[in-house]
Amino acid sequence: MQDLLAARSQMAVSLGFHIVFASIGMAMPFLMAVSHYRWIRTGRPVYLDLTKAWSRGVAIFFATGAVSGTALSFELGLLWPRFMEHAGPIIGMPFSWEGTAFFLEAIAIGLFLYGWNRLSPWVHWGVGLLVGITGVLSGIFVVCANAWMNSPAGFDWVDGRALNIDPWRAMFNPGWKSQTLHMTLAAFEATGFAVGGLHALLLLRRPGSAFHREAFKIALLIGSVAALIQPLSGDRLAKGTAQRQPAKLAAMEALFRTESGAPLMIGGIPDVRERRVHYGLELPNLLSFLAQGDFRAEVKGLEEFPEADWPPVAVVHGAFQVMVGAGSALAALGALFLFLSARRSPLLLHRRFLLAAALATPLGFLALEAGWTVTEVGRQPWIIYGIMRTRDAVTPMPGLVYPFLAFTSVYVFLAAVVAWLMHRHIRAADREYQSSRPEAIAAGPGSGRHGASHA
Amino acid sequence: MWVVILFLGASLLLYCLLAGADFGAGILEVFMGRGKRRAQRTIIDRALGPVWEANHMWLILMVVILFTGFPAVYSRVSTNLHLPLTAMLLGIIARGCSFTFRHYDAVKGRSQRSYSLFFIYSSVWTPFCLGVVTGALVPGGIDPAATGYLEGYVRPWLRPFPLALGGFTVCLFAFLAAVYLIGESPAGAVRSGFARRAVVASAVAVAVGGLVFWAAEADGIDLAARFLASPAAAACVVGATFSLPVLWLALAREWGWIARILAGGQVALILAAWFAVQFPILVKLKNAPDLTFFNSHAPEATLYQLNLALTFGAALILPALYFLFRVFKSESPAPDAH
Ligand code: HDD
Ligand code: HEM
Ligand code: HEM
Repeated sequence: MQDLLAARSQMAVSLGFHIVFASIGMAMPFLMAVSHYRWIRTGRPVYLDLTKAWSRGVAIFFATGAVSGTALSFELGLLWPRFMEHAGPIIGMPFSWEGTAFFLEAIAIGLFLYGWNRLSPWVHWGVGLLVGITGVLSGIFVVCANAWMNSPAGFDWVDGRALNIDPWRAMFNPGWKSQTLHMTLAAFEATGFAVGGLHALLLLRRPGSAFHREAFKIALLIGSVAALIQPLSGDRLAKGTAQRQPAKLAAMEALFRTESGAPLMIGGIPDVRERRVHYGLELPNLLSFLAQGDFRAEVKGLEEFPEADWPPVAVVHGAFQVMVGAGSALAALGALFLFLSARRSPLLLHRRFLLAAALATPLGFLALEAGWTVTEVGRQPWIIYGIMRTRDAVTPMPGLVYPFLAFTSVYVFLAAVVAWLMHRHIRAADREYQSSRPEAIAAGPGSGRHGASHA
Repeated sequence: MWVVILFLGASLLLYCLLAGADFGAGILEVFMGRGKRRAQRTIIDRALGPVWEANHMWLILMVVILFTGFPAVYSRVSTNLHLPLTAMLLGIIARGCSFTFRHYDAVKGRSQRSYSLFFIYSSVWTPFCLGVVTGALVPGGIDPAATGYLEGYVRPWLRPFPLALGGFTVCLFAFLAAVYLIGESPAGAVRSGFARRAVVASAVAVAVGGLVFWAAEADGIDLAARFLASPAAAACVVGATFSLPVLWLALAREWGWIARILAGGQVALILAAWFAVQFPILVKLKNAPDLTFFNSHAPEATLYQLNLALTFGAALILPALYFLFRVFKSESPAPDAH
């Protein structure tokens, strides 16, 4: 394996692994805060059980997120020393703010997890919320750094050196708002549907369990709201991409020729040699509208750029289709959920709906990984768009395939262990918590309303 | 820039004092007698659980300060010391995960033994690698122009001094942990067990410390002479040595807090001496000018922003950290919710 390819793959594996845990770390504290709040307010044991059960799972995800994040902050240098040498002083600022946010988060998580008997209920609740807030802030800061790689700002590039550095403008580069918004929503959407889907599955197995029913509702509520906003935020992001990284947009859409009134290409297999797409579905003029807000506008195709500077078109286009496909499915499901909840319809706990939610479990994370593939692979061959090429940034150390294999096997192993631990955790929760059993329907006032609909 | 240097030094010190002790607790598990193992492990679990992630953040802070404030150093070190750094990262991953999994596995069964195994060995491995990396900055074995794999990526750290320093770091962390854990345990056999281990660990640390000086000579560094030449460094070493008997007395009497302060002070003195000897050099290079605080720092605008972020961050973090430690480290160990 080529060294550059090994380095890129190691980066992709590490980030692809970390982002799952980071997203859960951003969103889960809010799910817990809702259930924790209801426990303090209503005193119904199901909410206490839920908060505790979730927090034990989250502890495992947190530790894994923290160690994989630590690995990343070293890997940036281990793999891309020339990139960091130049980029460090420019985008160090979001990273140092991120450090502060992590620190507060790590303190808050210690207080939250071990504080049940030591803090007063509202302080404890506030600490839990703080975990979520600092988690979201750290996500925002690190995505600012990534947005800078996509739309570099805040320095002058003179003879291969950065001069007149302005860390402030680098952090708040033109892409930061739309990218951080999109990522934050993605974390809530992916986590909400993953957690909700799992509890839907358990609810199918044990109809009438108050524990899983409440969990399902809280998680899907948060996921659905995010899923409805996400396409709008994605549209805004795409307009920015069209402006700032036209080559990436062209690759996302597999648009080879510059066209006015460009069609939106759905699916299909891009053929780079023949510069056309096989088997795709074309919707006339729609791309021009989505990218520029005008059905007749001109959209730049890949032909405008030297072929050596094209990103891998098939990967970027395919990943984009996956993201948008999964996003549309989730938005539809989310809209249905919100509609049914608003009408307090018993259909919410209908087998069919639970089955749909269970099937949607992986879709959010699938979209999230696909979205990052679009962003990162679509930026190739640049590591800093238009400024520095990935191949000029890689470490000169030979034999990079070995660290790549080492990290990959560690992460595969860890993923397996975490999955196994979650499996044990869920089984134990069913044994341990009263409210998880069907007879608990009568446990609290009003909790039996939907319970019988399919018992 | 001085503020940035101060934060870098403080992070290193706090990382050693806090996270070092967390690693040390794992090292001590290697030497646990069968009988008391369960009681000791409970104490360690309770001592580390709430704080290890926060303690670990000092390392992240160090990395961020390095790549923002001294990018040339970060880039040089992570290029030539790729291998020991990767080894350290794998240790960090194994330690953090195995500790958490051990505590949070819903079923406390046979798997506990595997977690413990990973936890113990990664607790020894990680500080060793940390010591090796730190040690490799000193002898001037890093050659930016090296082309061969061995010359460029193995020889800089595979030499007597870094390896000895790795061993010393392990002893030092074990010593810190033993001293801290005295205060975490109720009076009785377990507590005196930790006190005894603290005495042994400090004696071993002194011996291995001597070994470090010897290894330095073998590596062509006149470390002893450099310590003597710097009055500040010499004073620190003298201070650390002469406080040892007092520490032993405190350990024999099981005076938890006095022992903690003395032990922490000794580690601080060792680091201060190190700093005094090295300043202003960060990395000694072969066939090239050394990287110092003065020739490797980022432009002023960056340092200014970094300064601001660190000061503001510290204003938020320190009170929060104080609260964390007050909640969990005051009083007698209360029963846990889990
Ligand atoms: C739950 C996950 C999720 C869902 C449902 C969507 N996205 Fe997304 N998308 C992401 C998760 C994501 C992401 C992983 O979070 C990315 C990668 C970088 C970023 O900031 O967000 C991303 C990147 C990303 C980009 C690349 C921006 C760039 O690199 O310049 C575009 C154009 C879109 N998205 C557009 C959309 C559209 C039109 C969607 C319509 C449904 C959509 N996304 C749904
Ligand atoms: C190059 C990229 C990245 C680096 C260097 C990095 C670094 C880190 C580090 C050092 C930690 C550990 C902090 C702790 O101990 O709590 C961490 C955790 C975390 N990271 Fe990342 N990270 C990166 C990418 C991302 C991205 C893209 C996101 C999300 C948008 C993210 C969000 C988080 C969050 C929320 C945590 C908290 C831990 C958890 O909740 O599980 N990180 N990261
Ligand atoms: C956590 C979510 C992220 C994921 C899943 C992700 C995914 C990827 C992938 C797939 C690649 C390989 C692209 C290729 O070489 O073809 C890559 C490269 C890279 N990413 Fe990301 N990325 C994420 C966030 C970030 C962030 C926040 C940063 C920095 C602040 C970052 C910095 C890099 C760098 C430096 C490279 C290597 C150079 C390059 O390929 O351009 N990534 N990432």
